[in-house]
Amino acid sequence: MSFDAAISRRTVLGGAAVLAAAGLVAPRAGAQPAAIRLGTLTPLTGAGGSYGPSMRKAMEWVAQEINAAGGVLGHPIRLVSEDDQTNPEAAVRAARKLIDVDKVAAIMGTWASAVTTAVAPLCWESKTFLTTVSGSDTITQLPHQGYLIRTQPNTHLQIGKLAEFLLALKVKRVFTLAAQTPFAVPSHKRLEEILPRGGTEVAGIVVYDKDKTTFRSEIDQALRSKPDMIYLNGYTPDCTVLMKELFKAGYTGGKVAQGYAVNAKLLGSLPREVTDGTYTATPSPAVESAGYKRLARALGTDDLDPYSCQCHDHISLVALAIAHANGEATGTAVRDHVRKISQGNGQKIDSAVEGLKLLGHGKAINYEGASGPCDFTDAGDILDCKIRFDQAQQGKFKFVKMI
Amino acid sequence: MPGSLEQIAQLAVNGLVAGTVLAVPAIGFTAIYAVLRFPNFSVASHATIGAFAGYVVNTAWHWPAWAAVAAAFVVAGAAGVVNDRLVLRPLRPAGALTTAIGAVALTIVLENVVRFVFGNDLRGYDLPIRRDWQWGPLRIGPQQVENLVIAVVAMLAVFVFLAFTRTGKAMRAVADDTTLASLKGIDAERVARLTNFGGMGLAGVGGMLLGLDTSIDPLTGFRVILSVFAAAVVGGLGSIPGAVVGALTIGMAEELSLVSLAPAYRTAVGFVAILLVLTLRPRGLLGERAY
Repeated sequence: MSFDAAISRRTVLGGAAVLAAAGLVAPRAGAQPAAIRLGTLTPLTGAGGSYGPSMRKAMEWVAQEINAAGGVLGHPIRLVSEDDQTNPEAAVRAARKLIDVDKVAAIMGTWASAVTTAVAPLCWESKTFLTTVSGSDTITQLPHQGYLIRTQPNTHLQIGKLAEFLLALKVKRVFTLAAQTPFAVPSHKRLEEILPRGGTEVAGIVVYDKDKTTFRSEIDQALRSKPDMIYLNGYTPDCTVLMKELFKAGYTGGKVAQGYAVNAKLLGSLPREVTDGTYTATPSPAVESAGYKRLARALGTDDLDPYSCQCHDHISLVALAIAHANGEATGTAVRDHVRKISQGNGQKIDSAVEGLKLLGHGKAINYEGASGPCDFTDAGDILDCKIRFDQAQQGKFKFVKMI
Repeated sequence: MPGSLEQIAQLAVNGLVAGTVLAVPAIGFTAIYAVLRFPNFSVASHATIGAFAGYVVNTAWHWPAWAAVAAAFVVAGAAGVVNDRLVLRPLRPAGALTTAIGAVALTIVLENVVRFVFGNDLRGYDLPIRRDWQWGPLRIGPQQVENLVIAVVAMLAVFVFLAFTRTGKAMRAVADDTTLASLKGIDAERVARLTNFGGMGLAGVGGMLLGLDTSIDPLTGFRVILSVFAAAVVGGLGSIPGAVVGALTIGMAEELSLVSLAPAYRTAVGFVAILLVLTLRPRGLLGERAY
């Protein structure tokens, strides 16, 4: 028995060695102008699993377009894609691989705030640039030395606009049911800051463990304070359960949630009487822009999610920054040049290919992407973003207003 | 404070239901441990497989919930037998630890197979969502009551099978002493197959019961495996009544802790219970191999 095991183990190890050797030799054979290596780290599985694949596709499409037009100053882009599993621990392993093995200049597309918070230190310590769609305030407060930008409005900006929306609805008592995330408490504090000014009471908050299968007791706790509006600040799986259980508990008041949690898929999976009336808040991409329309055509949809739009802009910004740095494909070059192509008085452009051409002619550019103007503060936050409010009616989203 | 008394009563009801549903996969887990002597963590993915099997027959063929539960049992059980034969049985001679790690690897592979076939989206069963019954200050859902009934029926079936049938007795004999059982002419391999079928079938039923009240996705089983493990350990690994007692203890403790703890810390309560029980009664509440 043990003899057999030893043989097979040796065979396996031998095979692995051959494979590894092949892997080491292969890249040397083909690529002549050195490829620019960029990493994507999106949630292909886990709670963000319904967004990650499309985010990655958006970045792959931009890379293809750039490569088809001759690359970044002649260097093709090579994307290495990893799955963060919506899990900080898995994300750190994947980021380590991207940084140490693939030696990427930038990691793009981290989604969950907990993932970004875990990955960011690896990035700034290794001088790798990180672009993210996470919204938690704490992310840009990290000592990232400039190696981080985000295209998602932070909690302060987003919840400020949500509070404004709730005040316009004239609700009396708001209760928050929040998944345990880095933005749960900051969101609640921001509501407490604004709502009382307009006479709306903030009744309380329950922070729950999102991996539980039932939240009956949490809901009992929320309903004891008799709210007329419940803010569901979680992710899709837990919001699905919460909405079902609120219905079962006989709750008839209002519900409001983030658009990434209560999305078309959630509406499709629950009966109308459970979801109808729920408001959603979504940072809106620049739906009228040419960049948005091109990406929508490329991905074969007329309703792009904001994260795919933001990821489209991530890789465009990184490629343009590298071109502006005369082809220096490092995280530090991206850090030092990204604001020189994203804002200022240069010619407004909405595609990386167009921008690369103009940079080649020595022109100054100002990139405005599929997600919005892409202008960044020194801390890495975006300066402004529109928030779109919708309401579920008859199992479909109806546009309410833009703030 | 009548208000807080009502609150405690409601929490106890919630805990009872949560514990009963948890008991079903815990029985499967502990039965496999009793016969095969390793913690088979692939109970997680088999719970998911059962949940998805039930989902397919419920939404595509419009079978009612109870028939879908039966389908969940058969499909998850069959998958358990095949996976054990192909993956875990070859590992068993290397010891319990190796097999347990193999089972963790297996569960992650199977979970990804489910993800490959069904995608990552949440799915809900095609069942009407009904308002809860209000019973004085207490609130209980019709689906919860049905889950309770299905779980209790499944548990009774296991008890009857083990206590009164020839095969059930053979199973207990193998769990007690494999060598002695084989001297008596009991085919240990056959018993192992049956245990796997029954154990993983119960895991499948558990996965589906969890999904009936909520929704399912490829991580359905993985989310509860630690609680299932906790229930089995608290009750006494290898003891079937122990799994029931353990599951009720964990379910009740997690809910009742909400009287004084924020819900975010609830999961820790189950594991504090494990530490306490293992410190005070290392063999679990009912002890190992109690039937």
